[in-house]
Amino acid sequence: MSRFPVRLLAILAATLLPVTGVAAQEPSARPEAVVNDPKASPLVSTVWLENNLDAKNLRIVEVSVEPGVFERGHIPGAQNVVWHTDLVETVSRDIAGPEKFTALARRLGIDKDSTVVLYGDNNNWFAAWGAWVLAQYGLVDNVKLLDGGRRKWEAEKRPLDTRTPEVAASGFTASAPSPALRARFGDVLAVAKRERDEQILDIRSPDEFSGKIIAPAGVQELAIRAGHIPGSVNVPWAKAVNPDGTLKSPAELKALYAAAGIDGTKPIITSCRIGERSSHSWFVLSRVLGYSVRNYDGSWTEYGNAVGVPVVNLAGTIWGGK
Amino acid sequence: MTDRVTEGTMPLRWERHLVAWTWRAACLRWGLSLAVVLGLAGAAWRLSSEPGGSRLALSLTFGALFGFVLQRSRFCFYCQWRDLLIHGDPRGMLGILAALAAGLAGYAVVLGAWMPDPSGARLPPDAHIGPVGPVLVLAGVAFGAGMAVSGSCISAHLYRLGEGSSTAPFALLGTALGFVLGFANWNTLYFGGVSDAPVVWLPRHLGYAGSLTLGLALLAGLAWPLLRRLPETRTGEPGPGGDPLRAIFSGRWPVWLGGLAVGAIGTMAYLRTGPLGVTAEIGGRARQAAAASGLLPARLEGLDTFRGCATAVRDAVLTPNGLFVAGLVFAAFAAALAAGQFRPERPRLGHAVRGLLGGLLLGWGAMTGLGCSVGTLLSGIMAGALSGWVFGFAMFAGAAATLWLGRRAGLLA
Repeated sequence: MSRFPVRLLAILAATLLPVTGVAAQEPSARPEAVVNDPKASPLVSTVWLENNLDAKNLRIVEVSVEPGVFERGHIPGAQNVVWHTDLVETVSRDIAGPEKFTALARRLGIDKDSTVVLYGDNNNWFAAWGAWVLAQYGLVDNVKLLDGGRRKWEAEKRPLDTRTPEVAASGFTASAPSPALRARFGDVLAVAKRERDEQILDIRSPDEFSGKIIAPAGVQELAIRAGHIPGSVNVPWAKAVNPDGTLKSPAELKALYAAAGIDGTKPIITSCRIGERSSHSWFVLSRVLGYSVRNYDGSWTEYGNAVGVPVVNLAGTIWGGK
Repeated sequence: MTDRVTEGTMPLRWERHLVAWTWRAACLRWGLSLAVVLGLAGAAWRLSSEPGGSRLALSLTFGALFGFVLQRSRFCFYCQWRDLLIHGDPRGMLGILAALAAGLAGYAVVLGAWMPDPSGARLPPDAHIGPVGPVLVLAGVAFGAGMAVSGSCISAHLYRLGEGSSTAPFALLGTALGFVLGFANWNTLYFGGVSDAPVVWLPRHLGYAGSLTLGLALLAGLAWPLLRRLPETRTGEPGPGGDPLRAIFSGRWPVWLGGLAVGAIGTMAYLRTGPLGVTAEIGGRARQAAAASGLLPARLEGLDTFRGCATAVRDAVLTPNGLFVAGLVFAAFAAALAAGQFRPERPRLGHAVRGLLGGLLLGWGAMTGLGCSVGTLLSGIMAGALSGWVFGFAMFAGAAATLWLGRRAGLLA
């Protein structure tokens, strides 16, 4: 018997459920239908994805940081995107330009009418970066994150594949990226100098935020100064996820950020060290909570190296020491 | 495993004692060997049940398989090379060529699936494809000299540790020290010849079919003169009619059989966990210790961007390569015990000196060559890396020259 009517009913039920009513519930009581309907949510569940692997116009893309992870087994039908070469310019520091992005989107068979599900290792950090880059090229509502990412898919022992799918290329053409989702150094400096009434959310660890350390251990890309941008608040990205890697419920997320004074009434800028972890929080605030958010990909490696800008250094670290 | 008592004769009392003692010793050896195998299996089981632990469990398993095969077939680069040079016996070197041929074919199957088009700018994930330049040649020569001085390469010292070798512990300690020496020289070497050395991946230029054909043709070319020198078949070698259990667990395997198994394990490991290599953990721990004692340069230029046996700082206690090496040593111990080849010796000064000195050269060569006879030579050649071939030729040349000089000076046998 076809499962189609059942699925149709589920989707219908999901679209009829008011989002606010769902948001008020506990995570355990959160109906699967919310994340099961790609039209209503920026997230898809592992259950939905497994049931829809063969769906027409669905493009599954893995963006993992560890090499070889995709090749040794990925979600069936997924294609591979390498974060540090495909989604960025490799010579200048920038997101992939329109020409490069056009070639990538065409290769992946992504167009404006396709549903794109991104996932990856490391709690979807790089997949979220991918979503942020895609959004700047106008691919917003049709781009979803797999809730819980690669880790949840593996933990649930769902099937993996080692073959690379052959996808028909699309005819997508990227125009200049939208500046509305990206904060630049000047924007952040204006907030730091209180010339503009916006909020900066710094999602690094408390030790990086306070200036006790300049960067996590083993990281090469450093800043000359320690601390954070004046006026920013610290909510580490990891607070937004449950132990299984899934995002907390919208109600919990709202409460989490509201406690730090971020409630969506003012424009928000997310920031971290190189702008990649902060794209995770950008996704949560912008796509899940619907706030107006820009990601500052220059982050601390730009601001903390800039000359003559105000800095808050609570720990008093100088040149990496006291 | 027991000595047979001639039928029809009454054994003497001391003979009965000997038989009973041999039987008890065999039981003890087999029991202990079984306990080690069960311990390894239990550890793998335990690891696999933890989140994200399947890679660790697999690494331990592959390491154990590798150690078993190395021990059973005496898969030792130096011993086989020496057998050819001194005794004119080519069978061991043919075994090494068999490993390369099997691995080349296996890797081609995996790589073809992972990267259907090899012609782009990308390299296959974590395959050991290193920079080719004078430093690689120097590394190979030093590594070869270290093999001749210490008596074998690093992987063979590891399996010999399981056989109770008294040189192996000193050689491995020397290897760690050699790594520290290599780290100290690295920046000079990097600016002097590594930074602009080309990273050549043959399938990029020749395609998979072309690269595989060239690789197999080269191996065939190397095998041809060896095949002509094969000794007459001697009786007593395990034939198809022999006892299979005895052939597997007690008698030595022919090296070609071990070679084919090494090629298969190399392919399986690359498919599931990563290329074979035995120095990442030794190098990584040496690097940590050197950093803690202030013996490390503040920056190791470009080192962590190269492919090979990565020594980048590790924050976990259990790493895939650490477990691979542990599996190798313990499985070799179990295999040696079962075969009656576990023969611990009392360490003498000569063992310590040769081990430390040779180990120092091995470690320096493996650090600057970004891997050893397993990581750079085997895994490199299998992946289609030119660096594997260059390191290999330099290594065998370095070993031959050191052996020749050592014998002339009366220092090496």
